[in-house]
Amino acid sequence: MSETGHNHPHEEPRDKRSPWASRIRAIEELLEERGVLSREEVEAQVEYMEARTYQNGARLVARAWVDPGFKERLLSDTKAAAAELGVDASGTIEFATVENTDEVHNVIVCTLCSCYPRAILGRPPDWYKSFAYRSRVVAEPREVLREFGLELPENRRIAVHDSSADLRYLVLPQRPEGTEGMSEDELAALVTRDSLIGTDVPHAAREANRV
Amino acid sequence: MIRPAAGARFAPGDPVQVRDIEKEGHVRTPDYTKGKPGWIAEVLGAFPNPEGLAYGGDGLPDMPLYKVGFRQADLWEGYGGPPEDALFIDIYEHWLEPGEHGGEEKRP
Amino acid sequence: MKKVHDMGGRREEFGPIDRSDHQVEDWERVADAVNIVLNAKGHKTTDEMRRAIESLDGYREMGYYERWAAAAELLVVEKGLLTKEEIDARAAELEQRWRGE
Repeated sequence: MSETGHNHPHEEPRDKRSPWASRIRAIEELLEERGVLSREEVEAQVEYMEARTYQNGARLVARAWVDPGFKERLLSDTKAAAAELGVDASGTIEFATVENTDEVHNVIVCTLCSCYPRAILGRPPDWYKSFAYRSRVVAEPREVLREFGLELPENRRIAVHDSSADLRYLVLPQRPEGTEGMSEDELAALVTRDSLIGTDVPHAAREANRV
Repeated sequence: MIRPAAGARFAPGDPVQVRDIEKEGHVRTPDYTKGKPGWIAEVLGAFPNPEGLAYGGDGLPDMPLYKVGFRQADLWEGYGGPPEDALFIDIYEHWLEPGEHGGEEKRP
Repeated sequence: MKKVHDMGGRREEFGPIDRSDHQVEDWERVADAVNIVLNAKGHKTTDEMRRAIESLDGYREMGYYERWAAAAELLVVEKGLLTKEEIDARAAELEQRWRGE
């Protein structure tokens, strides 16, 4: 089996590797041999996912913070707004953006599996897919957010969104205080992956290595 | 609304209740919502039914899908947060029945 | 009765959330990609994948991408694209090849 750079490189050492590694590779090879799919298609899909990161979401948020018209478009048609910024999220999956305000803080989950706006944000964090998050955030969201280091004011209500169907959700966090005069790029750098899910909020002062 | 939903049974603001039934096989209505009272937050449109799609069917006819809101206090006994805390979930029409009016004033 | 994958509200069962991120392995990228490509080409749907994952006996014990790989196998066999025996044979061959590296 020839390996071509990043997209089909080596496997983990045998003693650490899941038995499913060889099974899915076997399936891949056999399907390619049968002409059901091609190596190029698989590699293109790997590249598609690698190209998608939460920074796409950070750019959508930063633009929405500086441009009220864009914010309206993000809230009313997230897929089209993403396309405006060069993020191709076309497909049958629909997207919706929920806005954090002084009155409401939003947090996203998929209790039944791991639905997530992958076509915009890439892969979800491991914790998002965990049984513990899926089970607890719907029933005790304030406790879960506290675990993430986020304490909300008592008078701010929480809205949990369980992505059970054909919509995938992104959170539009509030723009932090003290960010007047920041460029769009500087604003985007304040937006963390977790603030797009609702387990974090952006802060005006960020440590450089914070995810 | 994301997609047109001609013939949608419910409209935004309608009180609804999730049907408390057992159903074998693949469903997208979680147990924690069954039998609980909520309201229609949004009509999302009509989508193919996942219960049909999951077994190789075409999931047609399209089924209206709703964003349904619940007070957390109605979902969880002893819920520890403020009464305004809410949960929203996307539920297909065949899982919903009309709820009782008079719950609106409690809605966050 | 609650189905195994229906996780909402089982808070008595689960404790603190592990917030670490593991390094994605290449076979996991492949599991992801093969599934999406099969969907895109109309061989299966997301709903069938979910149904397949939910039916796995080892749901609780398996890792996330292990469930994806197992569900992909279930569906390609169900749809007559491949047989379990040929997957067994090729997987064994790959394991042997990898041992030799």
